[in-house]
Amino acid sequence: MKAFITGLGWVTPANMGRGRDHDRFEMIPGELPDITRKTVFDKPYPHFGRLDRYSRIGLSAVAFALKDAQLNTWTHKRPIGIIASTVHGCLETDLDYYDTVLPEDGRLASPNLFAYTLPNSYIGEAAIRFGLTGASYIIGVSTLADIWCLRLALVGISGGQFNKALVGMCDLGQRPPYSDSGSAVSGAVFFVIEKKVDRKCLIYGELGLSPNGELMFDGAEVKDLPSLAQRCIISFSKKK
Amino acid sequence: MKTVWITNSATITPFGDDLKELWLALVAGMTAINHVERFAVQNYHAGIAACINDLVASNERSMLYALVERLTAQLGAVPPDTLLITATTKSGIDNLEKVRRGYPAAARDVMVAALFEDIQRKLKLTGECINISAACASSTVAVAQGAALIASGCEDSVLVVCLDLVTEFVFSGFSALQALSQTPCRPFDRDRSGLSLGEGAAAILLMSSERAHREGRSPLGTVLGWGTANDATHITAPARDGSGLTQAICLALQMTAPKHLKIAAISAHGTGTVYNDLMELKAFHQIFGRHKIPIYSIKGAIGHTLGAAGGIEVAVGLHALQAQTVPPTVGFSNPESGAEDNVRSEPVAFCGDYLLTTNSGFGGINAALILGNGNLQ
Repeated sequence: MKAFITGLGWVTPANMGRGRDHDRFEMIPGELPDITRKTVFDKPYPHFGRLDRYSRIGLSAVAFALKDAQLNTWTHKRPIGIIASTVHGCLETDLDYYDTVLPEDGRLASPNLFAYTLPNSYIGEAAIRFGLTGASYIIGVSTLADIWCLRLALVGISGGQFNKALVGMCDLGQRPPYSDSGSAVSGAVFFVIEKKVDRKCLIYGELGLSPNGELMFDGAEVKDLPSLAQRCIISFSKKK
Repeated sequence: MKTVWITNSATITPFGDDLKELWLALVAGMTAINHVERFAVQNYHAGIAACINDLVASNERSMLYALVERLTAQLGAVPPDTLLITATTKSGIDNLEKVRRGYPAAARDVMVAALFEDIQRKLKLTGECINISAACASSTVAVAQGAALIASGCEDSVLVVCLDLVTEFVFSGFSALQALSQTPCRPFDRDRSGLSLGEGAAAILLMSSERAHREGRSPLGTVLGWGTANDATHITAPARDGSGLTQAICLALQMTAPKHLKIAAISAHGTGTVYNDLMELKAFHQIFGRHKIPIYSIKGAIGHTLGAAGGIEVAVGLHALQAQTVPPTVGFSNPESGAEDNVRSEPVAFCGDYLLTTNSGFGGINAALILGNGNLQ
């Protein structure tokens, strides 16, 4: 059960972009940058500015990762999966939506906001934007150190559900009372993983499951997504 | 690939805390969709839903925990090392409503982690837990992932617990999208005009056949195939050509291809919205041609239970295989084009051991499962 990592993209309080353009990945507490369409997409995308913040952050990290893997352009839809983790999901959007319900006892409830009150809405948006028809779902976890998304993606690849997938996390953090901690880290990071690389492109390294179920990257155990991103960058810098 | 058995199931619906009660109500063609008393509905496009009338929140907790309490009481023993996968679209969102309205409420109940930690405590589970969120296909995807983990040898016992509530948050949203029917929903009927919301829960215990044998458990059924795919078309509307659902079903069928199984019945998503039902009929006909495979939807009886729908439909589907009968599609009387030969308003007997169950949802997600009759083992 193994796959190659061919793309890496992120949006964090430290910076944003593609793995190949940076020599360091940091998931630090702080404010996320404002993202405009032009920062991420070359072509017009009128809908982007109307997206909620959770969707903009997640979609941007997906876009950077696909560009890094040279999979951002397409003519036909492709069976690429998207599996992402989150702790707080779209809670910020939920609060914004419910604020449209309260004032007039529901008369002013916003259909546009409601459509994004599911944690998986942004991966649906990514599927539309990039023509991705593989399995797409969100894994709710108790901590962002969780690596279940990678494990399930490898199982999906080995079981023949898809040959390529975007795997990562997106979270905006939250303050009490909804969260135990007021210092939750926010941001998004996505990896492109592929069963077989069928084009000339950068390969960061190999991801696999050891016989006793540990997730491995180039022979060493994967602890969490941020450290995997940093290891990808180190691996790439050695290959340059 | 290991064989995946379903060894235990439990359901909570407006028809009671028992699958047999639910089955009897379904076969009798009853509906639980009624006037909503839980919150004011005068400003919404509809005023009906299928609520569990005696569901009461306690100690500032979300009503979801009352569902958990009743579900776990019904489930029986679960091996402690079982992986727990919950499936819900909005978890304890009723508590977000209370907090925003200034009422005392446990705010953390809106987080899925609060839900799975509570179930883990109640069932004394020591394994890991995650939640799967895939809109209205959440529990179908959860069963698919649980089965994939067992088939691949990564896990040998997985409990899927799926649940969702009728809340003002969700009701107002579907009303704003003008997706609610003013009368109980009418899946696959030419005169359908939208969905009816419902609430409920299901628990499905998946186990490798080896482990089940060791534990002396017998199968209610088997999970033989699964597939998940995205339409990549629209955030809230399905692809009109049914391409995503077709892809999901084909993936599931490919897994069973060497066994040459014959699908004997289809448990459809069947929400009663104009575009969902048309899309499903198109996908089913693309794959199965004009074969008269019985197709049914239980949403006219218990409403659309969102993240719980797929799990409840797995439990009902296994019962249908056992009874060799599909329940009637409540609300169906004037067939939509393409539904004439397949959908019925009365129970239909069939002969066969394999059932396809499908769900689709916002974000373009589609999921399909192929279930085998437990009597085959």
